[in-house]
Amino acid sequence: MSAISATMPLQQQQAIIDFLCRVAGAQDVQLQTVKLLTGGAIQENWLLELDVIGGNYAGHLAVVLRSDAASAVSSSHSRAQEFALLQAAFAVGVTVPEPLWLGEKSVFGRDFFIMRKANGIAAGHRIVKDTSLGGDRELLTERMGEEMARLHRIQPPNENLAFLPMPQLSPALQGIQSFRQFLDQHHTPFPALEWGIRWLERYAPQTTELVLAHRDWRTGNYMLDEKSLTAILDWEFAAWSDRLEDIGWFCARCWRFGQFNNEAGGIGLRVALYRGYERIYGQPLDWQHVYYWEVYAHVRWAIIAIQQGERHVSGQEPSLELALTAHIVPELELEILRMTLNHA
Amino acid sequence: MREQPDGRALLAIARTVLREQLLPLLPKEQHYSALMIANAMSIAERQLQYGDAPQQAERQALVALLQQDGDLILLQRELVRRIRLGWLDEQTEAQQLLWNITEQRVKESAPKSLLRDGAKG
Repeated sequence: MSAISATMPLQQQQAIIDFLCRVAGAQDVQLQTVKLLTGGAIQENWLLELDVIGGNYAGHLAVVLRSDAASAVSSSHSRAQEFALLQAAFAVGVTVPEPLWLGEKSVFGRDFFIMRKANGIAAGHRIVKDTSLGGDRELLTERMGEEMARLHRIQPPNENLAFLPMPQLSPALQGIQSFRQFLDQHHTPFPALEWGIRWLERYAPQTTELVLAHRDWRTGNYMLDEKSLTAILDWEFAAWSDRLEDIGWFCARCWRFGQFNNEAGGIGLRVALYRGYERIYGQPLDWQHVYYWEVYAHVRWAIIAIQQGERHVSGQEPSLELALTAHIVPELELEILRMTLNHA
Repeated sequence: MREQPDGRALLAIARTVLREQLLPLLPKEQHYSALMIANAMSIAERQLQYGDAPQQAERQALVALLQQDGDLILLQRELVRRIRLGWLDEQTEAQQLLWNITEQRVKESAPKSLLRDGAKG
């Protein structure tokens, strides 16, 4: 027990040990390390290094316990839903941390689940520059496309994902409606952003086929070790959508971390991403429509940035990082104008 | 009377001390916070540099474009209403105004992105 940092109350640690013994069918579980990882403002992630005695998981086991943070935002999925999403993705062969056990509130005081720990680096700025990570970059970029296409094999209806609402309009128009609803109740108008939303409305695609989209699949939200991709993270925005929404989000200029020529997430070329996608999808796609979803990505990220900034501005959650996020909005809007003013 | 150096100059020198003297002494995991502080200070500096002039210019331009008077928020809301109605779809003059207003905000919040991006094209 020597390496434990005393950030998790002992009572909670004991409750987790009891829980793990039960679900892992173990005679005993010893906590070697308990460490709060840097998680989002919405969730809390704890690294648990375990020695499991007996049962199917006997031996050393490194897991992450993911729970709601104290100030959970209502718009994201519950932990139970996120667990179901991970299970669905894992089942179709998407590289995600293996979801192990869904916990109950009575154990930890908050909803939580436990997944196998994935090793690697997620920081976007590092990943785009440090080519010692992730192996051959062309193969890695192809792999991203393959992984997306695997995820997109999941289509509605799906009884394990019945909690995901079916869009009443097309995914694009549904998004436009929610952007406008937010802006209508916000204290400050954003005319350039509204122009972008109007453009999205004018050119909105039909989307004949809905797929399970991750909707936050970008550099910074996956992990790489020295050899390859180890995990796609952050599933809280997943929804039924257009398959190109994930491609557009991944390729959008605002998510290239300064490596603008590597149009696929700052790590590689579009052709590699598209090639990987088509390999699994089994047929060619009309990639011209990705442009629309890249504009959409900038608009959606601008809305999220306004919302994050507002958490600071409203006094609810004073944070320099949130405050500065609000100041990303103008450059996103300028990029939206650049992409749409001369593009009919 | 207000003492010299003014707020803008104080922020500038404080930021220099932060970057040149404090940052090298900080543990690596604190660098990100220090850089965020420096960034926040430079945004504040630029807002002080430009003052209220851009807002006034924006208001006047909107009065001329929309042919109605009012405070800035009100005019922006009217512009938004017309954008949603499609009023700007083919209006290059109004689109140019949108560009200029946004570019000014980028000059305050993230001017480096302008250098990187080059001119409108």
